[in-house]
Amino acid sequence: MICCKECLDMLSEYLDGDLDAKASADLDEHFQDCPPCIAFLNTFKTSTSLCRETLRQVDVPEVVQKKMKEFIDQQKQNKG
Amino acid sequence: MSFTQNKETKEAEEALVREFQAGNLDAYDKIAEIYQKKIYALSFNLTRNQMDAQDVTQEVLLTLFKKAHTFQGKSAFSSWVYRITLNASYMKLRSKKKEPNVSLEDLLPSYNSSGYQQDKIQDWSENTESFLFANETREVIQKAVDQLPEKEKVVFILRDGEGLSTEKVSDILELTIPAVKSRLHRARLFLRKKLSPYFEEYGSRREKK
Repeated sequence: MICCKECLDMLSEYLDGDLDAKASADLDEHFQDCPPCIAFLNTFKTSTSLCRETLRQVDVPEVVQKKMKEFIDQQKQNKG
Repeated sequence: MSFTQNKETKEAEEALVREFQAGNLDAYDKIAEIYQKKIYALSFNLTRNQMDAQDVTQEVLLTLFKKAHTFQGKSAFSSWVYRITLNASYMKLRSKKKEPNVSLEDLLPSYNSSGYQQDKIQDWSENTESFLFANETREVIQKAVDQLPEKEKVVFILRDGEGLSTEKVSDILELTIPAVKSRLHRARLFLRKKLSPYFEEYGSRREKK
């Protein structure tokens, strides 16, 4: 069976679906016998997805959108 | 918003760029519309400052306007836009005093000589649904991302923040695929460890209520 280090080294690839079937099965097998790695997997998944959602919440503020529109129109006028 | 660019999007965008290069100014409007949010979001996630992100967005849109005719099409147009955005954001950051980055090595998992985990791991992953709605959580997360070392941070923001593929990030940053994967993994490990004390405490605060 693979050790914790080998398991956790491959965790991102495991979750991103980048591992081949054999490597993925090795991790599954390790998780069956290792509660600390399951806790690691769960918290790793959760922190990754919370960070991802937080980064994706950025919206362009309306005032910036307006400024950019004016800026673009101005550039076009200068050129046209 | 996920942005895994498929072949049709890439071709449609490059057709717009050719139209703009040929002098069609309306094509520029469409290009600006497609990229404005991506430029702003990337720049904001790097600089954490609305004014800076606004300046960068304006600067990049101006560069696209003035330099689109120099775009050769050797790599994807979107990769070119992302690269210009990264450079402009880094210029902004260079002029500012920075908090020192936390050492990434200290936050990686620790193992005994047989490769088994030494840290005591508390599973706080249950009951995290309410986390996202708390402003406090958002700030804690943003701060943690901010403390990532530069190399890992940019990969994390492009891959997990922008939702770009490993291949796309490797093209933008001119890194190998294994290098992108390894930096992404280190960033995620760092963030898990960095955020754990907050979530553990958050969990026990909830239980007490």
